Amino acid sequence: MTTKKTKWGAMTAVGVLVIAFGWLIYGGLDSNVVYFLTPKELLAKGADGYDKPMRLGGQVKPGSVVWDEQKLDLRFAVTDGTGEVVVHSKGAPPQMFKDGQGVVVEGRYGPDGVFKSTSVMVKHSNEYKAPAKGERPSDMYKSLMKSPAT
Amino acid sequence: MNWKRASIAAATAAPVIGLFAWGLTRDPNSIPSPLPGREAPAFTLQVFAPGQGELSRPVGDSVRLTDLRGKVVVLNFWASWCLACRDEHSALSDVAQSYAGQPVQFLGVLYNDVPDKGTAWIAEMGGQSYPSVDDPGARVAIDYGLYGVPETFFLDATGRVAYKHTGPVTPRVLRYKVDSLMAAARQAAAAPAAPAADTGANTKAGKVQ
Amino acid sequence: MTRLLAFNSIVVALAVTTLGAIFGPIAVRKGRRDWLMYLYAAVYTNFALVTLSTLALVYGLVSHDFSISYVAQVGSRATPTFYTIISLWGALEGSIVFWAWVLALYAAAVVWFNRKREGNLVPYAAVTLLVVALFFHILLVGPANPFLPVFPVPFDGPGPNPLLQNHILMGVHPPLLYLGYVGLTVPFAFAVGAMLSGEVADDGWIRITRRWTISAWAFLTAAIVAGMWWSYEVLGWGGYWAWDPVENASFMPWLTCTAYLHSVMVQERRGMLKLWNLNLMVGTFVLTILGTFLTRSGIISSVHAFTTGTIGYYFLAFIAVVLVATLFLVAGNSDKLASDGRLDAPLSRETAFLLNNLFFTVFMFTVLIGTLFPLVAEAVRGVKVSVGEPFFNKMTLPMMVALIFLMGVGPALPWKKAAGAELKGKLLPGVIVGVVFAVAALVAGARNGYSVLAFLFAGFALGVNVQEFVRGANARVRAHGESWLVALSRLVSGNRRRYGGYTAHIGVVLVTLGVAGSSTFKQEQEATLKPGETITVAGHTLRFKRAWGREEPQRQVIGATMEWMDGDRVRATIEPRMNYYPTQESPVPTPDVKSTLRGDIYLNLMAFKQDGSNVTVKVIWEPLVPWIWLGGLVLCIGAIIGVLPERKRPASAPVAPALAEGQP
Repeated sequence: MTTKKTKWGAMTAVGVLVIAFGWLIYGGLDSNVVYFLTPKELLAKGADGYDKPMRLGGQVKPGSVVWDEQKLDLRFAVTDGTGEVVVHSKGAPPQMFKDGQGVVVEGRYGPDGVFKSTSVMVKHSNEYKAPAKGERPSDMYKSLMKSPAT
Repeated sequence: MNWKRASIAAATAAPVIGLFAWGLTRDPNSIPSPLPGREAPAFTLQVFAPGQGELSRPVGDSVRLTDLRGKVVVLNFWASWCLACRDEHSALSDVAQSYAGQPVQFLGVLYNDVPDKGTAWIAEMGGQSYPSVDDPGARVAIDYGLYGVPETFFLDATGRVAYKHTGPVTPRVLRYKVDSLMAAARQAAAAPAAPAADTGANTKAGKVQ
Repeated sequence: MTRLLAFNSIVVALAVTTLGAIFGPIAVRKGRRDWLMYLYAAVYTNFALVTLSTLALVYGLVSHDFSISYVAQVGSRATPTFYTIISLWGALEGSIVFWAWVLALYAAAVVWFNRKREGNLVPYAAVTLLVVALFFHILLVGPANPFLPVFPVPFDGPGPNPLLQNHILMGVHPPLLYLGYVGLTVPFAFAVGAMLSGEVADDGWIRITRRWTISAWAFLTAAIVAGMWWSYEVLGWGGYWAWDPVENASFMPWLTCTAYLHSVMVQERRGMLKLWNLNLMVGTFVLTILGTFLTRSGIISSVHAFTTGTIGYYFLAFIAVVLVATLFLVAGNSDKLASDGRLDAPLSRETAFLLNNLFFTVFMFTVLIGTLFPLVAEAVRGVKVSVGEPFFNKMTLPMMVALIFLMGVGPALPWKKAAGAELKGKLLPGVIVGVVFAVAALVAGARNGYSVLAFLFAGFALGVNVQEFVRGANARVRAHGESWLVALSRLVSGNRRRYGGYTAHIGVVLVTLGVAGSSTFKQEQEATLKPGETITVAGHTLRFKRAWGREEPQRQVIGATMEWMDGDRVRATIEPRMNYYPTQESPVPTPDVKSTLRGDIYLNLMAFKQDGSNVTVKVIWEPLVPWIWLGGLVLCIGAIIGVLPERKRPASAPVAPALAEGQP
């Protein structure tokens, strides 16, 4: 019921559509993919690493955290043991954020050597951990716990 | 039924299945460690849990990584609050025991925990054959780029990080990695004199697999 | 005791399904229809056994029987009973039990309703259902066994994942998702049954499964909307959709299933697209299994992924079997699936459905490629990448906008060939509403092209679809002299499928308005406040009153009381919290939302001083977001209208039974 001619025509049309789709997808992926790098890998890229969306993974360098709660301004360094990158972020750090914590920050690295982060995620295991004495919220936030909700 | 067309169509599933099969062999959450192949960061830490019998070291003794050159070192980061550490405990303890007298040093490193709890945990688990050291402030953990516990590092006899294992280890993995590192060490030592050691090393490594 | 009962039920069910799956084809081959009762008995017995096992597990959870490994893993004496019961699907093993139960339920029901049907379609469909059930039983006795003994029996357990016990929607979303996912096994089984029995050129499998497919689709739709709602209410970033692999996994089968619901009408009306429909249904099922595989095997990193052991390899084997078998069957049967009719005119409802299917399919492939790309990139180039929102938004927005446009054009187009004048009259209300919406969006400050187009086409689709109800009801008022409301209800009940579809379209319009509104006009701000200080976002002023803390049985809570001000008057009190679970390293932020028809005020507690002297809060003004949930509800109402039995009309016989599309 279909002649050879229309069959080939249809196949060509499908082929063209698939190629066009593939090309569009490729273009979309190429410009929108977010690479995952460690500080060492990012530094090794030099100028190639500037101003591209990426995720940087490593640990918060102990003693590097500067947090201004009034201006909501957070600065810290991410290290992987060999390299370190200064990160600047607006907004409060996540709760578990602390020295030595594994973090993944998303954002762009600029020629000024500062990684402008749009989000800071803490890597933590969901494993069971009983809080040490003094770390339980009822110990830490004693005064708050005494002012129950109205 | 058009068998030819059916078979060709079925064959197109192969690359997809292949991709998934490959994907299962790796962990998408693992973050590339900069360490393997590099010199292991040096440390000096105090023993808080002595271990048992032949492998034991007195509490309070300082362990310097540089003193362990020439030995294969298995560095296991653990904590008493870590559930997965319970799974690997007996594997580590038993395998370490079985290498007693050979140039292998197993060492536990306590991560984000207090020694008292660590000692209690070891007692609860029925003892541990090798010693554990405390890592106050997790400084060594940071040097090693630790993301969580348990993580196990295998250092070769020259003091380089050869492998890193994330998550609980199994006896098979432990033996295979320790054996191949010991074989490599023997080979390096024997290489100038006797190239025949090569075959011996391979059979040794192959057998445990 | 409970443990043994639960486990042994599954072991017996495994044996029963295996026997049934082997015995069924033999009975059919030998032509012994009297043997089929044993095949169907296997289906019913499987249901009874899995029900027993599931009940036993629930009993184990409620009675805190920590000698069962699953209870020891997710149970805790401090957890409220409601969350204890729903922790049945809170972790991997339990969710597989629940899955197996839903599958057994569907299989038993669909076989029961069709047990008397002639031909080999139903027996083969029953065998297919048993094979799928068999796979889940293998998981339950193997890598996902929730019934392992625990010794020594612990006194207490860690409790379920806090994220899952933080909100009531977690009691709703997973069962809906399973009902949807698993429900799609039914049309798949009948599609396979049609191919195996040689009845593939006939529409039988489509007609039998019509209501099942619409129901499964409705559950899946509800699940996706509930999932969006959950992540909006719980995760604290103020969004509802992040193109996370888990979200994509539920969205991809929805796309192909929605395409199927449309294209199947072309087959029923015109005898076209038979092969295509078969492909869509089989593809939908493969996508449900693929989605489960991606999220349960840990192959792709996601915030929601379950942690796993060897289960991935079992899923891989199952996907391989399903893919190879279905590709083989579909391609082998493709000769029998030639079209009876052909396309008459470019401007017809058929064309609208074809374009609809093209866009839905391309949409699905875009999402699939984006989801799998990190895996491909690492396999091919050895780099770790993630594909985030920018890619998906950029690639899918044009398709969404086009689909919404088609949703307006399609209902106005008649089958075969459109006449110009009538078409104009049908489209005019849509054009008017569309322009009003677009102008309103422009006035409100929308400058993004897609956003204005989304408002334009949403209005257009709303106008055309509502117009269909009005026009039909008016015709009845004229013809039968009924009152308008009676006319409307008789119109709908006389052709439920058609008007159910239009109702669903109106639901999609509402969702579109919510999504376009919130993504265009969203405003957010973060600030550190002392008591009495205020923050203003998009004209809404919030005052920080005080921070507080309290002890709850299973957690400790720190909260901030914020007042939404209207001048000097307090309009509403909003209390974002931070929940501390004893078993979790990090606290779980719990945002609080106050909804109005115009939009939501969304508050999240980001940080606080230890003594409560100040807090850092994020305030988000989310315009039109409640319309998304409302739209989801309307979508489901549309589906319910579509599956209810047609009203008997003794006076005028329907055009064609069960598939009446009515007078266009």
